[in-house]
Amino acid sequence: MTTKRTMTLNLTDAEMAALDQLSTQKDLSKTAVIRQALRLYQMIDQRSQIGQKLYFENDSTKEKAELMLL
Amino acid sequence: MERSVIYLLQVSTDKLVEAELFDGISDPHLEAWRKTWLPEVAAAKIRLLNNQLPGSQWPVDLHWDWDKKMAQARATFLGRKSFCVLCQGELQGLMLVNLTKTGRLPEQVRKELVYVEFLSTAPWNRQELACTPKFRGVGRALVLAAVELSLQEEFRGRIALHSLPQADEFYRVKCGMSPLGKDTKYENLTYFEMTPEQAQAFRQV
Repeated sequence: MTTKRTMTLNLTDAEMAALDQLSTQKDLSKTAVIRQALRLYQMIDQRSQIGQKLYFENDSTKEKAELMLL
Repeated sequence: MERSVIYLLQVSTDKLVEAELFDGISDPHLEAWRKTWLPEVAAAKIRLLNNQLPGSQWPVDLHWDWDKKMAQARATFLGRKSFCVLCQGELQGLMLVNLTKTGRLPEQVRKELVYVEFLSTAPWNRQELACTPKFRGVGRALVLAAVELSLQEEFRGRIALHSLPQADEFYRVKCGMSPLGKDTKYENLTYFEMTPEQAQAFRQV
């Protein structure tokens, strides 16, 4: 198994509540949520670096809203 | 890069032989793909042409360029992982998975899973390309690696993939995955998912 290192994370109450909620909803530990968030963040950042944009599309109207550019 | 011992069935002797599963595809593996798979693929294409098999029935993965796929995967390295199988010094299989997808089955909608983007076995192990396959079990070993990764990442064994037509039966029958129909947004390939319960059953076979 890949070596893992431990760190302390300082979060506000609101941030911790969001992490708790995601952890419950996704059936993942808090560590797994953070690791997943990091994967997605890196993917979005890498794609934006090559000029791609991230959109949410309304399934019925097909309307697209630009979500973010990092 | 980690290595674990697995076993494949050597068809000529009908005996299990030791093989290696690597969690990662490195440059030497890609070189082995270029040097050993590509000439076999070129020869297989000629045979398919001579047999007048329509292009629509050719295995799509014959055209896959693993150099390009790995170059793309390395740019988003946290979201992707690769695996390969070696046996008797030869590259037997390659797989690339994505860790940023979620499920579609009602019971696993929005639940994280390991999505198998590409899985390919060596041309000499494939019934449709070689008269007698050399080894059996490469595909299963790679699917099992995806399931184990899913468990390791707390995804409970959930995996998913779009299957090439030639492999539909393998994923449905041998792997016990649920087909969710043809995906019009993905080249009309059949989409499959494996639930935690199916993963458990698959691991015990």
